[in-house]
Amino acid sequence: MSNKIVSVWTDNNFWKRSAAWITGFSAILLIWLTFDTLGQITQGTDTDMQKDAKGLYFSKRIPSATVINYKIGYEYSDKRGHEVPTINGKEKFFGRDDYSEEEAAALLHLGKLGSQAKNCMNCHTLLGNGAYYAPDLTKAWLDPKWKLMMAITQKKTREEAMAEFLQHPSKYPTHSRRMPNLDITAAEAKGLVAFLKHMSAIDTNGFPRNFGKKDITLRERSAK
Amino acid sequence: MMTTAYKSKDLATMYFIVATVLFGAQLLMGLIGAVQFLYPEFLFEIFDFSVARTVHINALVVWMLYAMIGSVYFLLPDETGIETVGIELGKLGFYVLTVAITVVVLVYVFIQIGPAAESTIWLINEGREYLEAPRWADIGIVVVVLIFVYNVYATAIKGERTGIVTVLMADLLALAGLYLAGMFFVDNISVDQFWWWWVIHLWVEATWEVFVGGLAAYGLIKMLGASRQVVEMWLWVEVAMLFGSGILGLGHHYFWIGTPEYWWEIGALFSALEPLPLVAMFVHVIYDWGKQAGKNGSNTINNRPAFAWFVMNAFGNFLGAGIWGFFHTLPQVNIYTHGTQFTNAHGHLAFFGAYATILIGMFYLNLQSKNGIERMRSTFNSKMAISLISFGVMGMTIALTVAGYGQVLVERAQMGATWDAFFISQQAQWFVQGMGWRLAMGIVTIVGFVYLAIDLLSISKVNHEKV
Amino acid sequence: MTFIEPFTDMVPSFFGMLNQGPLTLTIFLHTIIILPMFFIYRQEKVRLEREGKQ
Repeated sequence: MSNKIVSVWTDNNFWKRSAAWITGFSAILLIWLTFDTLGQITQGTDTDMQKDAKGLYFSKRIPSATVINYKIGYEYSDKRGHEVPTINGKEKFFGRDDYSEEEAAALLHLGKLGSQAKNCMNCHTLLGNGAYYAPDLTKAWLDPKWKLMMAITQKKTREEAMAEFLQHPSKYPTHSRRMPNLDITAAEAKGLVAFLKHMSAIDTNGFPRNFGKKDITLRERSAK
Repeated sequence: MMTTAYKSKDLATMYFIVATVLFGAQLLMGLIGAVQFLYPEFLFEIFDFSVARTVHINALVVWMLYAMIGSVYFLLPDETGIETVGIELGKLGFYVLTVAITVVVLVYVFIQIGPAAESTIWLINEGREYLEAPRWADIGIVVVVLIFVYNVYATAIKGERTGIVTVLMADLLALAGLYLAGMFFVDNISVDQFWWWWVIHLWVEATWEVFVGGLAAYGLIKMLGASRQVVEMWLWVEVAMLFGSGILGLGHHYFWIGTPEYWWEIGALFSALEPLPLVAMFVHVIYDWGKQAGKNGSNTINNRPAFAWFVMNAFGNFLGAGIWGFFHTLPQVNIYTHGTQFTNAHGHLAFFGAYATILIGMFYLNLQSKNGIERMRSTFNSKMAISLISFGVMGMTIALTVAGYGQVLVERAQMGATWDAFFISQQAQWFVQGMGWRLAMGIVTIVGFVYLAIDLLSISKVNHEKV
Repeated sequence: MTFIEPFTDMVPSFFGMLNQGPLTLTIFLHTIIILPMFFIYRQEKVRLEREGKQ
């Protein structure tokens, strides 16, 4: 070939090898990180849950389904620098606080299936992902709005109000944009509420920030 | 130019026709959704927002995949110098895929949802954004894509293997393989979304972008007569930068879904580099254009409408994917903007700028080759199409950014993302006006699409220089 | 105050350890990705020089 020395920077082979190295190594790092992360986001067990319930904080990012037996909060943590889910003792869920791991897991399974079968994600966001036509559901269980909805649906507990709303959403309009009727049965509604309660206990690194710190519903009501 | 003799190019035409129809369907569904934001009673409990949105984004993904498969069948004979291997198999795949997609869309539109059972996931709707296709269709898609990948590999092994073909071979294998990561059901929503992002992110921010790099390289050689050696050097630079930033850039989806805090750093800093290759791609296109200008007299470019869309791609990719993506990729911003109209604004400009543009350019290259046109001129319709569609999408993006500004400040920063906070933000003046402008600009886009459709049907009848 | 930041994430892990405050983890990863490119550069330079002399 010619005897002129070409710069390495314009040499195809240099870039080809660099591209291969960077792509290959990034992929290896991603796979390694994936194993690490999957280990951390595996669901906890009921044993973990009972141990954690002696304190305030969860030891698992994704708790056991039996978290439905407990009262969940969302508090600022000095150590983490953002809000984290908290456990505040036992709480009845549809009249019981002794769901076994199997029972709770079955409810969560039904709820997760329901969330997909009813296509929640194409109006709402879950963990912030989905469509932007309706409120984010990440911490929906903790939403102060349910206090008002309990009165509107004439139910005594939050979970019953949620289940009633999910079964007949367009009957209880709160804004001009309503949720449509999705033929959700009573059993499915119970599963969905369990799914939402469990999701509110997932450690989302502080998303969403300041959730429910401003209780607009109650303030507006007291002003009237 | 004996390019029309290749059967592979006829197969490409079939894919491009379906892609164009689905593009139209996507815009129509977007229109319904945009109207519902302003008039929520429109088609309420008949054709709800969730249905329109499902078809809107699925039509988007599918028309782009069709146009991408078509593009490969189109360029493969030019690059390898031989007819594509397995054309008949490819045709069979085309019909299977098209029938499957028609059934899926009809089910979305008429059945919409099902009971909370595995059967719904298998037969009706998987209920995961972008991957709504029921499981039976997933399996069908995998089979058809395997046929496609086989054809590409068999052809490349038999014929000449250029740098562009080498990149596409690796890229398509990764692209096809990644789809498998989205094909299972799991109760744990964090695990669900973890793998879901493997498909979505590693498609649109890694493998699809590299694919576009390959198409741009091919287009520059084809339309400008740019030097293959230089174009392929740029392509390798782009692959290094796109995969170097894009693969670990996946971390910017792992900030808030239950995954560990270390993703803040990885996601932020790697994805912050994602705009760099897009700058490189833009510079590359403009540089080659300038370098080749005047070399063939006044006819530097042998396909003006296609080249206009390629330039729009270089610019739109950088602006939509690069700038609008960087806006909200850092966690300190994203904690407030995650899942708002801000995301939506980015989505619209990025999908358009990075993918729609260059794929429409491929439609024009195909028309040129099919009709044996030496130099294709832009018609009045071509100019109206590119102007109105680009202006419309840019307008929608700005309108949604304004709406997103209202939403982020009111719902997220001020009121903490509750049910009431959400709806108060949706009634804010900035938000409502933004949505109004979005609808208006959406209609501009649709008018532009009508011009595009007319142009694609009629441009080859105009007096061009024939071979 | 210690030089090494206390671990703040929920579950300890290798990558969590590298995450010692702003940028440590990401600079580490970027560096190990970029460094071998110097090696590739040197090899290619030698090759080009050899080809140039022929």
